[in-house]
Order: sequence, then structure tokens, then C-alpha cells
Amino acid sequence: MAQFALPPNSRVKKGKTYEAPADAKNVRRFEIYRYDPDSGENPRMDKYDIDLADCGPMILDAMIKIKSEIDPTLTFRRSCREGICGSCAMSIDGTNTLACTLAIEDVKGDVSIYPLPHMSVVKDLVPDMTHFYAQYASIKPWLQTRTPAPPDSERLQSKEEQELINTPSACILCACCSTSCPSYWWNSDRFLGASALLAVYRWLVDSRDDATGDRLDELDDPFRLYRCHTIMNCTYACPKDLNPAKAIAEIKKMLVERRL
Amino acid sequence: MSLQSPLAKALGHGSSKAGPEHWLVQRSTAIALAPLGLWFIYAMVTLEHGSYEIVTAWVAEPMNAILLILLVMVYAYHSMLGLQVIIEDYVRGGLGYLTLLACQFIHLMLATAGIYAVIVTALGAGQ
Repeated sequence: MAQFALPPNSRVKKGKTYEAPADAKNVRRFEIYRYDPDSGENPRMDKYDIDLADCGPMILDAMIKIKSEIDPTLTFRRSCREGICGSCAMSIDGTNTLACTLAIEDVKGDVSIYPLPHMSVVKDLVPDMTHFYAQYASIKPWLQTRTPAPPDSERLQSKEEQELINTPSACILCACCSTSCPSYWWNSDRFLGASALLAVYRWLVDSRDDATGDRLDELDDPFRLYRCHTIMNCTYACPKDLNPAKAIAEIKKMLVERRL
Repeated sequence: MSLQSPLAKALGHGSSKAGPEHWLVQRSTAIALAPLGLWFIYAMVTLEHGSYEIVTAWVAEPMNAILLILLVMVYAYHSMLGLQVIIEDYVRGGLGYLTLLACQFIHLMLATAGIYAVIVTALGAGQ
């Protein structure tokens, strides 16, 4: 059966509270999921009261402030701080998004921060992305072609053909979409998830790729593709405003088209 | 503990080359149920205060009997496909196979019973 309750060692307990300095002007509370596997303790929610008057505007700014000024043990991934590396994907205020592109003022009340849902947690806000990346690798996300490349130029596309791959190739593999999907939570061992499916779509509609049939063969499966039940959390969550749900619907249409 | 590579885990047993049929039939039965369902609701509303004789005579009309049998079959099939997805989503392993089998058996039973009821009512009316 699908597991609906957290195992006992994953249940979240109350954590510590770090209060704001006495002269703080504009205090906002951040409740952050903490888990340290080496301690042997259950996960806990630590509360940090931050003076927004002395903090950058984004959620990530507050987290970096906590790490450098209040609690250096807080662990999270971040790199580019401008929404292009996808490292700081986490569940903020109930929605998967990037901590670097979400403004603190866009969240009402206390800010709750959890790791991406239903992933194994390595530490605090760092999920284990191994399987997610392996699924991406499994769809062969590279150009496959039997047509020899032109000897003196690149493989050309028309403007219209390029526009087809323009949006789906803007995916940054942050996993916000896949991990927001209940179907992915229950069946991620076999369901590819929104991100990998958007990636396949990007190659399916690439006019230079000769492996469309092989790619569709690989998706012709009740679990790999058809665990998508059009819940559309993926599209709602995507911090890059992409539309994995539509890409998946297009793939389903392609599979039907080739047998009708 | 497993030392299997992450890619091997992700690839699993490969693609089963089955999926679009289920998806397609679930949608085509849904489309068929829209007019059939509306027709059935309309019929039930008009027959609301009908006596036993009026209702059985209605079922005995050939077109009504044919549409009723169609409705039973399409409903049962559509419901079976829908429940199959829910079971595949939530029930794993041996219990999953058993539940799927039970689901198919129950739907087949219900469909057969429904068709039998329509035929008996249609042929038995007026006797």
C-alpha cells in the first residue's frame, strides 16, 4: 500500500525558538524544517524571528542571514540567487518554489520552509536528488539522430521549429514540479514525473531529433507516463512559468495519434 | 540495501508498451456516457411517478432496452477502468494484483446482473 503517514522516525517535533534582537523593527517569523541524521533525533521545526529591516528582500536572503548570523548549522543548497541554477528549490508557505525568487513580502504571516516533499532528506532542506537525476538520464536528454550533420554548418531549424523547444528547454531541473505531484509521491519509482516528461517533450518536438518513435516507445507505459492524472500541481509550482502538464498532455496525444 | 545503479533503478523493467489503450477507452467511454447518462436521467425523471406496469413497458421498448444494456456495459467498463487506476496508484505488490482481479470480477458481475435484469424485465413485461 501507499504509505500515508510518516514513519515514526520522520515525525516532526517542536524545535528551538531564536528570538529577534530587542531593537528589531519589523519582525517576521521563519519556521524551518531541521533534520540531522547523525544526531539520531526526529526532525524538528525551528523558529527564527528575523528583523526584516536588516535583511534582503528574498526568502533566500533571510535564510543566508540565519545561517551567517544566528545558526550556522542550518543546511540548504543555493548558488546563483537569481532563479537559474535551481538549487534552492524547497517548499515555502506550502508551495514548491525557489527561495531566491520568492519575495518575503509575498508570503503572508509566518514563513514555513520545508524540503521538497516526499524526497529522502539528506540534511535539513537538502533532499536526495539521485533518483530524480537518474530519471532525467533515463530519457536520454540529448540529440539522437541518424542524419549526418552538415559538413560545414550546424543542424538548422526554422524559426517556428526553434520556438517549439524554446520554452520547454528553459527548464532548470529544480524538481519543484515533480515533487509537487501526488502521483509522483506515491509512484516515483516508476512514474517519470513532470520534469523528466517535460524534458522528453523537449526532444520529441525537436525537428533535428530522429528518435521520436524510440522516445515514444519508452513512454508507452501505464506508469512512466500515464500516472499523470492531470492534477496540474506541476504547472502551478513551476518557478519558471513553464507548463509541464501541457507537455504531458501533448505526449499522450502523440501516443494516440500514432496508433489511430 | 542495494548497490544497483540509480539509472538501473530508474529504468526498471522497461516500458510495458501498454497504456494508450486504457487512456483512450477511458475517454471514449466517458464521451459515450454523457448522452447515455443524460438520456437515462431524463427517462427516470419522466418515469418518476409511473406504476410498475408503465416502467416495465418502458423497458420493453426495444430502443430503451438496447440503450439500457449499452448504458450498463459502458458504465461498468468505465467504472472498472477508473477504479483500476486508483488501485494501481495506491495498492502495491500481491495485494495490488488481487485487488485488481477483484475489481474486474465485481464489475463483470455487476454488468452481467444489469444486462440480465434488463432482458428479463423487457421480455417478461406484459406477461
